[in-house]
Amino acid sequence: MNCAECRDNFIACAEGLLDRREELQCKAHLETCAHCQAEYGELARLQQNLIARGQAAAGVSLVQTVMRRVHREQFTPERETIMSKLFKYRWGWGLGTAAGAAAILAVILLTTPKAQARALEVMAKGAQAVAKLTSIHLRGQVRSAPQDNFSAIMPECDFVTIELWKQLEPALKWRVDKPGRTAVMDGQSTLLFVKPDFGYKVPQASPSGFDTQWLHEIANLSQTLESEINSIKSRGWPVTLTQEQGADGKSKSVISVEAKSGLGADDYLHNQFFSTADTRRDYVFDNQSELLESVKFYLHSASGDQLVFTLDQIDCNPPIDPAVFQLQLPANVSMGGPMQMLPDNEKYAAMTSEQAARALFEACGREDWTEAAKFFNPLPDNVKQYLGGLQVISIGTHFSASNGAELVPYEIKLKNGEVKKYNLSLKRDRNTSRWFFDGGI
Amino acid sequence: MDLTDKEYVERCRDGHQEDFSLLVDRYQKPLFSYLAARVGNFAQAEEAAQESFVRAFLSLKKLRKPESFYSWLLGIAGRVAKEQFRSEVRHREIHEAAEAMNATAAGQPDEYPLEEAIAVLPENHRQVILLRYYEGLSCQEVATRLAMPLGTVTKTLSRAFLLLRQDLQARERAEQTVNLIEQP
Repeated sequence: MNCAECRDNFIACAEGLLDRREELQCKAHLETCAHCQAEYGELARLQQNLIARGQAAAGVSLVQTVMRRVHREQFTPERETIMSKLFKYRWGWGLGTAAGAAAILAVILLTTPKAQARALEVMAKGAQAVAKLTSIHLRGQVRSAPQDNFSAIMPECDFVTIELWKQLEPALKWRVDKPGRTAVMDGQSTLLFVKPDFGYKVPQASPSGFDTQWLHEIANLSQTLESEINSIKSRGWPVTLTQEQGADGKSKSVISVEAKSGLGADDYLHNQFFSTADTRRDYVFDNQSELLESVKFYLHSASGDQLVFTLDQIDCNPPIDPAVFQLQLPANVSMGGPMQMLPDNEKYAAMTSEQAARALFEACGREDWTEAAKFFNPLPDNVKQYLGGLQVISIGTHFSASNGAELVPYEIKLKNGEVKKYNLSLKRDRNTSRWFFDGGI
Repeated sequence: MDLTDKEYVERCRDGHQEDFSLLVDRYQKPLFSYLAARVGNFAQAEEAAQESFVRAFLSLKKLRKPESFYSWLLGIAGRVAKEQFRSEVRHREIHEAAEAMNATAAGQPDEYPLEEAIAVLPENHRQVILLRYYEGLSCQEVATRLAMPLGTVTKTLSRAFLLLRQDLQARERAEQTVNLIEQP
């Protein structure tokens, strides 16, 4: 290996990417060529410097802030400094001009580092203003399939309406609605209805349930805002503050928080659910009432940022009709409930998640719905039609998800010839210790 | 598929202004790093980086060589950093400002030319450096992102390093010459 070849291989050699033969040749050259050896040493120093600089800049995320400013600037016909404005109108200031200058001044002040302190103040006041709620009603839009999980983010889907009613006093009751799915807690039990014919009832009053936790957290407005303040302070989440005029003509403070899930981009759950997503969250406060008026979540992903959730209506302490918490199910609904102990429960409790996945799929292949229901109960008819007669091609080794589930990679051939390769999400039931289906089909 | 700086600049000028976000995404980290080394304060660096991008966007029509977008952006950032510093001086006691100036100059004497040297690399070399070190991708991930063989990525990186070294050495020599001339 000559000098030029050796230098071309510096990075591959430093990062262990050469094959054994090339690595030996490169190292042999370095041992005999003082010039290349010196260059290699310099490269290592420069590389360390670059790594350090990259790490220092790792949390920098300016795209949203810059583009917001760019959009704002586009509507300003001429870029003028405060001083030029003052000089321009020196001899004829009216109230309008003074107000215009004040507005520009406000924007400039709010883009300084002091904006963070001001943003935290607005959020703290907003939290204080809703510290004592007896009921709340939220209405917004989420990108999701109408019947799918409440917390799943589906950027490829259109927006559907999502709505929450929550009574905190005298007794806790709540309801969350999407067009194809409703979850209700009436103070006695918690019920999920997936339209048109699937229901699941838990005979306990749960404070949340059926993947509605994230929305309940938002509904606890003061805690949500305090939690954001804590994350900004302790985790260094970037925050910006801008002033806007609302459609009602009133001035608004818009606070943007860059929320990090802490999950790597290669984590299976990354950006799939609200609790595991990297988002920019825009909170709009009315400057006069100090109340939170609307919320927008933008999903950060490799393909760009996308609006995935909005809250357009936030009613604090509204009267809620008691009928909201009563749900009449159609007669044809198949009802599921807590898993029951089986006569041979131990056999299933001893299974690994891979064994449970195989047992479930093989039962579907045989169309043995009694066996399949031991993992997936009740099995809706559309699932039976979809999975019936399948062939198992392979079952992989599970990996753990941050929500406590085990995800088992699988490849199956459906009876229509379609080959499906995905991850089956299984969780262990606390009472029976059996694995049950939690998603992934 | 990532476009070149020239292509993004031309698309922005043609009315696809959202494409400017891709240039921000591409250069936000090295620009921040450059400014952090200059102003010695992360919050100010972030603020200056924002301002630099906004000014760049507003002046995009004046950019004569779209392929030199990043060098041009660094020029804008340098001016923003100076303005920011002057503004600081106005708001501090004179001796505090002098101390800050000395601390900034003494603390990071040879750091910020690195981003300037990266700015004058050929675009393909600059791209792999930015992705590998500022975006934190592995060589294999860079190869996937750019649809290049892994060997091409490592060779391009090795050559980029040698070019960076030569540029930094040339800057160092020029600096020494200036110092010699300025000495009484």
